[in-house]
Amino acid sequence: MRYELLDTPDFGMVRAGFDQPGEALVVESGAMVARDSGVQMKTAMRGGLGSALKRKVLGGESFFQSTFTATAPGQQIYVAPGAEGDVLPLELDGSYGVLLHSGAFLAAASTVNLDTKWGGARGFFSGTGFFLLRCDGVGPLFASSYGGIHAVDVGPEGYICDNHHIVGFTQGLRYTVTKVGGLGSFFLGGEGLVCRFEGQGRLWMSTRNGRSLAAFLHPYRRVQAKN
Amino acid sequence: MQIDVGYRPAPAMARVQLAAGESIMAETGAMVGMSTNVHIQTGMGKRGIMGGLKRVFGGESFFQNTFTAQNGPGELLLAHSLCGDIVPLEMTQAGFLIQSSSYIASAPWVDIDTKVGGFKTFFGGEGLFVLKATTTHPGQILVGAFGGIQELQCDGDLVIDTGHLVCWDATLDYSVGKSAEGWIATFLSGEGLVCHFRGQGRIWIQTRNPSEYGGLVGRMLPPRKR
Amino acid sequence: MSDLQQPTSPAPAAPVRTAPVPGGAGGGPATRFEITHGPSFAMLRVDLAPGQVVSAEAGSMVARHSGVGMEVKLNAAASAGFVAKLKAFMIALIRKFVGGETFFVNHFSSPQGGSVWIAPAMAGAIAHRRMQGETLTLSTGAYMASTGDLQMRLKFGGLRSLLAKEGAFFLQITGHGDLWFNSYGGVHSVPINGPFIVDNGHLVGFEGALDYVIKGAGGGLMGLVASGEGIVCEFNGQGTVYLQSRNRSALVDWLTPLLPR
Repeated sequence: MRYELLDTPDFGMVRAGFDQPGEALVVESGAMVARDSGVQMKTAMRGGLGSALKRKVLGGESFFQSTFTATAPGQQIYVAPGAEGDVLPLELDGSYGVLLHSGAFLAAASTVNLDTKWGGARGFFSGTGFFLLRCDGVGPLFASSYGGIHAVDVGPEGYICDNHHIVGFTQGLRYTVTKVGGLGSFFLGGEGLVCRFEGQGRLWMSTRNGRSLAAFLHPYRRVQAKN
Repeated sequence: MQIDVGYRPAPAMARVQLAAGESIMAETGAMVGMSTNVHIQTGMGKRGIMGGLKRVFGGESFFQNTFTAQNGPGELLLAHSLCGDIVPLEMTQAGFLIQSSSYIASAPWVDIDTKVGGFKTFFGGEGLFVLKATTTHPGQILVGAFGGIQELQCDGDLVIDTGHLVCWDATLDYSVGKSAEGWIATFLSGEGLVCHFRGQGRIWIQTRNPSEYGGLVGRMLPPRKR
Repeated sequence: MSDLQQPTSPAPAAPVRTAPVPGGAGGGPATRFEITHGPSFAMLRVDLAPGQVVSAEAGSMVARHSGVGMEVKLNAAASAGFVAKLKAFMIALIRKFVGGETFFVNHFSSPQGGSVWIAPAMAGAIAHRRMQGETLTLSTGAYMASTGDLQMRLKFGGLRSLLAKEGAFFLQITGHGDLWFNSYGGVHSVPINGPFIVDNGHLVGFEGALDYVIKGAGGGLMGLVASGEGIVCEFNGQGTVYLQSRNRSALVDWLTPLLPR
């Protein structure tokens, strides 16, 4: 599979070209922009019924994914996320894994393993309905964010990142979620939960925060009619 | 302190490098990441309790945090809530008037006044207000926009849609009015209120209008409970 | 006249992606204009010649010189009959309240000339096209401004298109003059030579000998409801399709779980 990134860093879009019939791209629901008609689309629930229901109940993102399969060489597909921002292509080669914020997953070749990692992620995005997605295997993986994607190589002194700005990080980094500055700051300061990373690895952060945009738009929503 | 802005223009982020003991004041919620030795203190700005309360009643929570690097230099990443450019400005003698949601951060000795009169109808009652920034020592202020930032030189007069205002030199005269003749025409024209500027000075505008965007997208979102 | 100064730091050197402009002169004197802050937050500045009129979508004005006057008009072709004007007025009023493109336009002009700055509501690019008698079809919401002698017709996309959040109409434009249209995100031209499917929300416009069918995304009923893909437009024939890299419905779907309760 070949791919090209267009309109980065502000409106990142992926144009993927299939080399062989049967090659497939797994895409987050709603992200298809355009494709040759010959590329077949199949919608399925991600990761089996059990985990899909778990996610639906928590009110996180939709539990459907679409798989696009080529029927002839040279067919193309364009894929873009809903948020304005960058797309990060990661070439997984089997030697490392990546933990992604579930909202940051855009697409991946069907040869990449996607696994919802529950246990160690408890409390990470608690209350938000989002979770950590573990990705490994071989093939291209595309992550998206609201805003730009800023990479930081974490070393022995560690790094602190606001929880809502995490896109993903390499497996192997240790992380602890803490509140910043005591109770006062938590409510008044606006910096609520942060994550402290330690070890050796790479951390990807988004330069914008979807919750802030949602809070900005909230007063513009129509008010529900009483019944 | 050293400020540089990366990822321009859309998801711009400012990286502030503080020397040991140096501080910067920044708006609530502006922090993206920081090195582990930066200490946060929630203050209410230079005016103490009264300053903080005024901001709450002004319609927007305007608590400022003071970030200080301790035991060595530190790094702080700041971002604006909307997608757009960020520009550091050098404070001038006269100071600046800033649309409240554009303010991101400033040197701790810059005085931010939230009680600037004559703007009640400025933004059509959307909880936005105007800040005045003045200082007696040189320093920097960080403003963020929705969209790109364009600096215009006012050399006589200029009419600007109020939703596109970021900040302007306090040397300019300004008055707010309707954009078209008559209220029906103003409604149909889709333009809201405009600001007539007169005099000499710089005006920074943003190339997108947050309330127009808010209205357009907000209508498409599921309705809210209250 | 004001001077324009670029922000002090250089913007990232991303290539400007705009629709290809067919070459050549013709159709009146060239309009003086500049598109700045592209491709992410593009803004258009038109420097009007004395007496020249530029029409812009209602609500898109950023700034103007005091001497430039603004008049609200309906975006119906100047030679349209009464019924066409009434239809245009009804559609315009409906869309004003439903939230689509309004089709009320503002006419800007000044006896001594002057500048007007125009920008769309969503982030993205502005493309310029010098129309020379060809026909270009735009999604509603893509039209931003125009000058010269252009004829515009609203075309209904068919019953299924009513399901599309982006609206059921296309705007067919022909004539001579300058046309500026905007995209949510970047705009990309894709040459078509066979069946090609485009998500309706990502369609900016198209031209050429193309047939199109509006339908659900595929995968049957389950696909339509569950896939999150909205309405798609399947093109066939020979021509060019213009895509935008972002989509308002997808923005809404991404935002919804992040909203405060």
